Amino acid sequence: MKQYLILCRSVTHAQRCARLLEGALIRAAVTKAPRELTSSGCGYALLLHAKLDEALRLLRKKEMSFGRVFERDGDGEYREIKP
Amino acid sequence: MIYFDSAATSFQKPPQVLKAYTETLRSAASPGRGAYRLAMRAAEAMLNAREEAAAFFRFSDPERVVLTMNATHALNLAIRSLAVPGAKAVISGFEHNSVLRPLYACGMEITTAGRRLFDPEELLGTLRSELPGAALAVFTHVSNAFGYILPVREIASLCREYGVPLIVDASQSAGVLELDCSTLQADFVAMPGHKSLLGVPGSGLLLCRGETKPLLFGGSGSDSIDRAMPAYLPERLEAGTQNAPAAAALAAGIRYIRRRGRDAIEAHERELCLHMAELLGGREELQLFVSSDAAMQSGVLSFRCRSRDCEEIARMLSQEEICVRSGLHCAPLAHECAGTLETGTVRMSFSPFNTHAEIEKAAGKLIKII
Repeated sequence: MKQYLILCRSVTHAQRCARLLEGALIRAAVTKAPRELTSSGCGYALLLHAKLDEALRLLRKKEMSFGRVFERDGDGEYREIKP
Repeated sequence: MIYFDSAATSFQKPPQVLKAYTETLRSAASPGRGAYRLAMRAAEAMLNAREEAAAFFRFSDPERVVLTMNATHALNLAIRSLAVPGAKAVISGFEHNSVLRPLYACGMEITTAGRRLFDPEELLGTLRSELPGAALAVFTHVSNAFGYILPVREIASLCREYGVPLIVDASQSAGVLELDCSTLQADFVAMPGHKSLLGVPGSGLLLCRGETKPLLFGGSGSDSIDRAMPAYLPERLEAGTQNAPAAAALAAGIRYIRRRGRDAIEAHERELCLHMAELLGGREELQLFVSSDAAMQSGVLSFRCRSRDCEEIARMLSQEEICVRSGLHCAPLAHECAGTLETGTVRMSFSPFNTHAEIEKAAGKLIKII
């Protein structure tokens, strides 16, 4: 199953984004960001399995900032997406 | 026992507050220190408190609602964010030491505007002449010693007109008086969680519109490699392990107030205050500090007795299981302005849980004492 990660600056911001998406019936879990994806140390991310485009559109519409976006396939490698 | 010291801290808490506190203590760990269930429950408690507070005070951004240890902590953060050593700070004559001491510690030159009790016109007149050249202004919404409601909206407008950043100390008003941050032009609003918001000790809030400077430095749960605190709120001002149970209790307290009605609580406390003033009034041995305009006084009543020391009265009331506060109430400037610095006052402060029967009983005991 595909995984998408949307990096967020903090747990507070990640939670707010997750609540916003939840209100639009987009499931997103708050998770720690993998260390390899964060240059500044610990960070948080939203983990989605579907509806990535819809989620990003909604976050932008509501002016909720977010960081880099990654896709992870079965091989376990993260690839950055430039949405 | 009759508890009339809610201006210090509210003692009677709604059951929902105690339940939220204990449930979070049992089921949550540390916010922002992991994504496992216990850590996320703690983070949820923190965010819930921010969102409840933002909605209650009509403050636009929950991420700029900083959770603090108390109002003193919140005021220190706000003052440190704006202070310029040697520059002028304008305050009212009714500020608490939680304003005075941080300003002194920051090396600011302090000027007061409004030194007359229950006289907003005098305050606004002197404020207009003191604001030019000031680096910041700090005004309490309500005097903790006398219950005097300051014209905070007009103060904010004047500060905006003169381009002076304003910190509002809402320690005695948050949860009781209307505080609409969508229209109040303040840069910071500081308040405790454990007074009229009915949370527990160890909780407070700072609503930040202005730029901030940290007071504590340490772990924030994110951007760990950076030697500086994060640039973003709330993490910028929340170093170290946060008090998630207190945050949950605070959210429950705010929800209780919303359900009961903030305006109903305001009216109830004012009625209790007026009732007490009426029962104690007209006695030569007592000097009551009461506004002739009821709308200018919150649920706080100060008085002193010509024949007995304030501390003695408080002690004798305590023997009758009536809890009041005596002395200077950590507000020596307010007492200097009211002419009570040498004696202090006895202060009775009321809560949503006090009753008129308690007022009558306490007044009767007090009259016997004096």
